[in-house]
Amino acid sequence: MSDIEIVESLKRDLGARALEIANPDRRRIFLKVAPAELVGAVSLLRDKYDCAYLATVTGLDRGEAFELLYHFASPVACVSVRTEIPRTAPRVASICAVIPGAILYEREIQEMFGIAVEGIPDPRRLNLPDDWPDGQYPLRKDWKHVRPAEVIPGGKS
Amino acid sequence: MSFEIPIGPQHPALKEPISLRMTVDGEVITGVDIRLGYNHRGVEKLAEQKTWIQNIYLTERICGICSHSHATCYVQAVEKLMELLPPRRGLYIRYLVSELERVHSHLLWLGVAGHEAGFDSFFMYTWRDREIVMDLLEMISGNRVHYAINTIGGVRRDIDEGQKAKILEGVATLRKRSEYYFAIGANEPSFVARIAGVGMLSKEQAVSLCAVGPVARASGVARDVRKEDPYAVYDELDFELCTADSCDVLGRVVVRVKELLESYKMIEQMVRNLPDGDIAVKAPRKAKPGEAVSRYEAPRGENIHYVKSSGADKPERLKVRAPTLGNYPATIEMLKKGFIADIPLIFAAIDPCICCAERAVTLVDAANGAESIVRMSELRRRALARAKNAPVKGNAVWPF
Repeated sequence: MSDIEIVESLKRDLGARALEIANPDRRRIFLKVAPAELVGAVSLLRDKYDCAYLATVTGLDRGEAFELLYHFASPVACVSVRTEIPRTAPRVASICAVIPGAILYEREIQEMFGIAVEGIPDPRRLNLPDDWPDGQYPLRKDWKHVRPAEVIPGGKS
Repeated sequence: MSFEIPIGPQHPALKEPISLRMTVDGEVITGVDIRLGYNHRGVEKLAEQKTWIQNIYLTERICGICSHSHATCYVQAVEKLMELLPPRRGLYIRYLVSELERVHSHLLWLGVAGHEAGFDSFFMYTWRDREIVMDLLEMISGNRVHYAINTIGGVRRDIDEGQKAKILEGVATLRKRSEYYFAIGANEPSFVARIAGVGMLSKEQAVSLCAVGPVARASGVARDVRKEDPYAVYDELDFELCTADSCDVLGRVVVRVKELLESYKMIEQMVRNLPDGDIAVKAPRKAKPGEAVSRYEAPRGENIHYVKSSGADKPERLKVRAPTLGNYPATIEMLKKGFIADIPLIFAAIDPCICCAERAVTLVDAANGAESIVRMSELRRRALARAKNAPVKGNAVWPF
């Protein structure tokens, strides 16, 4: 299947659910869907387009909204599924039921961007320490690291 | 009664920090939890504050074994954003270093596998041979670890006729030595018996858990970015995709030995067919707004970088996914139903690179939650003792 055939076929299968399909480069396809359609689109990609392999999930802070990109790869193309989530209601459905290997990436999105992944089998933090304060999401653009004042136990000698 | 055994995060026997928590029922592992983050350095956030050029050196420092992999994956994406076409000679040198890096990484891993299986002379042989390829890398780039040969638009150093001859000579020696490793299983049935049937990962699990690299290929999943998505020079090279279908540690050894020989083939092709011309083109200071997804087959599996530019001299976002992270869900499955004694072998078999993705073991008893701390050396001792008492698996055959 060539890139153009995949794009045409995706347009037929998804119809109006595909908000945007782009093919900027060879073997690179970007598909945009609404957050409500995400799980459906991912199941379709897995079952019909051989995209059972999720490479990673990228989160982007676009100011007003967050963007999530689910990078899938089949033996013929790399399909990135994009979805936009409003900053005021940062919630997205988990795709772990369809792609069990997505768990670590969803945990990472949760802690780094503060996007709640609904239905995630394991909601714990992935990389951040256990005593990390709530409400601090380091990969958001407005997050700045403030180095805490150094405390020497027992005071300076 | 079940116990939970913690391994890590800090342990003298573990080269990098990670915490594995195994729930065991007797000697059998029933549940595994991997805790990450002990080596998280915030590279993605840092990259947003560095220029395009500075980020080459930052991404190179994500890992000390596959340093060239991350840097190459990153420059591939940036070159796409800047619409640069590096000269073919530059590309050949860049991917020549890639394959040399794969050789050094696989030789290192074979040694570790031999060590964990209690076959230390194998470890000494492979690490001796690894010095040959390390010397070649030092000759080409001037460095043994961070080669720093990539730049946006090509490479920074050319190679001359004398160096070409030395590379061919080194590869010829390595091939001869590697052929000996091919025969090793036939001569050492105890080694084969130790690694066969350990750390099983079925093909279905490998697919659903998104395993990558030699781990996936050893479970019969023919997934290799160099074949699926032949970047740069790989569509001009003649090589085979190496798979195994035994789904265990034996399969992972087989895949890596086969890949070594394929890499020698590619290195020779690249050196012999090295095109003439420049090695780099000049890169602009800023990239146009846009986004690029770059994929690269690192020694441990697929490396993927996503780069977004807003038109400035710095990236808007750099997302890095290293292959080890992709293999963790599969590792949990491999460890389950295995024995405590097999933990070091199974965990080493994914060739974990903790600093890419982001050791004492605690054993916890399931009923009372009592913990006992076990040293890695003690685990190894138990592993060796168990292997000694285990019946030799008569059906395990070296596949070459």
